[in-house]
Amino acid sequence: MEKLAESLMEELNCETVFTIPVLGGIGVSESVVVTWIIMAFMVLLSLLLTRNLKVHGISKRQAALEYCVTWLNNLVEGMLGKEAKEYAPYLVTVLLYLGVSNVIGLFGFKPPTKDLNTAAALALMSIVLIEAAGIRKKGVKKWAKSFAEPVAVVAPINVLEIFIRPLSLCMRLFGNVLGAFVIMELIKLILPVGLPLPFSFYFDIFDGLIQAYVFVFLTSLFIKEAVE
Amino acid sequence: MAELVAIGAGIAVLTGIGAGIGIGIATAKAADAVARQPEAEGKISKILLLGCALAEATAIYGFVIGLLIILFLG
Repeated sequence: MEKLAESLMEELNCETVFTIPVLGGIGVSESVVVTWIIMAFMVLLSLLLTRNLKVHGISKRQAALEYCVTWLNNLVEGMLGKEAKEYAPYLVTVLLYLGVSNVIGLFGFKPPTKDLNTAAALALMSIVLIEAAGIRKKGVKKWAKSFAEPVAVVAPINVLEIFIRPLSLCMRLFGNVLGAFVIMELIKLILPVGLPLPFSFYFDIFDGLIQAYVFVFLTSLFIKEAVE
Repeated sequence: MAELVAIGAGIAVLTGIGAGIGIGIATAKAADAVARQPEAEGKISKILLLGCALAEATAIYGFVIGLLIILFLG
């Protein structure tokens, strides 16, 4: 029990890998480094895949790429609705990043989403985007007025929602990834050979991708609500 | 002390009951809806996924609290 709590605590803490020696030292934690690796991977992949694109006589690679991009765009635009489809590229980016970072545990990296700070940053970006979309569509005056809808009595609850939404987005992502990780650790403790395989399919792959989808789905739902 | 901490964590995880009931009801209704209108399956599964994600959140909060109790008190 003591040992388990200790090892869990160790996993919960995100160690500082190195420090940038400016302004009294900026700590760079492990999740940031893994995020850089993911970024490098995605940028390299997109550079390789988008070389020599043609209009006529397309290659198989381009056909597959176009199919994937159209599918992802349609998926997110379907969730956003007609009014807010210009936000689709950002949400597709978040979807790709979360999808890759949730399954990167399979390759021996620590998933960045297991760090509470990553989940909190993503949730903050989401809530800023949601409110900015509302302001952009309605103007400041109408946006401020929209808090008092449908009746003025519920205004405090609507204001509270600005804080609750990112909190629940952040906790849902972090809790799910951490929960899957803890359960996998416990299973490995029982029997490290063979037994973790079927569970890994569910907890590492399926659950991670579902959580990426849920995060983007909820954000787009809130944006759709904000621009209505 | 350790026993009390374990009991506390166990109580926190009882939030899973709510999530289980919620997801169970949602899935039952979704199966019902698909049986009635198989052509609306895409929309139904989307709504089901959203409902499950929201219902599951309570279980996740309970889990996070339970973990925090074990880590910081135990």
